Amino acid sequence: MSEIDCEQVLQLVWQFLDGEVEEVRYREIEAHLAECANCEGRVSFERRLRTLIETKCQEGPVPVELKRRLFKFLEG
Amino acid sequence: MAAPQPRTTPQDDRERFQALVEEHLNGLFGAALRLTRNRTRAEDLLQETFLRAWRSFRTFQPGTNARAWLYKILMNAYIDSYRKTAREPEVVDHDDVDEFYLYTKVQESEDFRRAGNPEEEVLARLMDADVKGALDSLPESFRQVVILSDIEGFSYQEIADILSIPIGTVMSRLHRGRRQLQGKLWEYAKRAHYVNAADSPPARSGPR
Ligand SMILES: [Zn+2]
Repeated sequence: MSEIDCEQVLQLVWQFLDGEVEEVRYREIEAHLAECANCEGRVSFERRLRTLIETKCQEGPVPVELKRRLFKFLEG
Repeated sequence: MAAPQPRTTPQDDRERFQALVEEHLNGLFGAALRLTRNRTRAEDLLQETFLRAWRSFRTFQPGTNARAWLYKILMNAYIDSYRKTAREPEVVDHDDVDEFYLYTKVQESEDFRRAGNPEEEVLARLMDADVKGALDSLPESFRQVVILSDIEGFSYQEIADILSIPIGTVMSRLHRGRRQLQGKLWEYAKRAHYVNAADSPPARSGPR
């Protein structure tokens, strides 16, 4: 098992949160975070920020009238 | 409908298309709103996307990624439309801004530290309009990848396919886009903090 240090973890944070690191890497990072409060604090902040951005940018459903108009094109 | 047992009838096509699009229509409309920042233009974009998708529906391979196929059409229609009306603002990269810009700023800030739990404080202070405003302030090419990743949840590879750019470009735009986004969020958070904290300097008039 290769060890991973703080610097490496912090470099991979966004890829880690994006689910874009390999399985082995992913577990190494998780193991590091379980033991390192400094990295864990940063990662959990980034994770919450990401959720906040996603939530605050959600829009309501497509207007019924627009949807009706679109599907009407298919009848032509 | 005289032809006996055709592989697909126009009616079948319509129904399959309708079912496929219906599943993604709310998501596409939300993305159209974020991209255009304008309800009328978002409706036009959604309509253009819908019509293009319908025209090329026969080239869509059942079983492949329908959502990514639809978003690719949406992005192409969007890029075609904004190229006509707008110019890409100059890309200014804030190299001094790191991945943890917001976190670092909050930790360093006396004002936020006084609040007890600075991380909690900054996240609570950010309003819908701040986040949308920060996102809207990004250069176009960064904004597109941030929307596709952080709001629409596409993978790097899917975004590369949707925008027809290399995956390395996706990663670097996403990286730079997120850094700028954090810089902007910090501006908004600071301002909101001053507005709400009685013992702090009064709010300066901001960019919005
Ligand atoms: Zn660490």
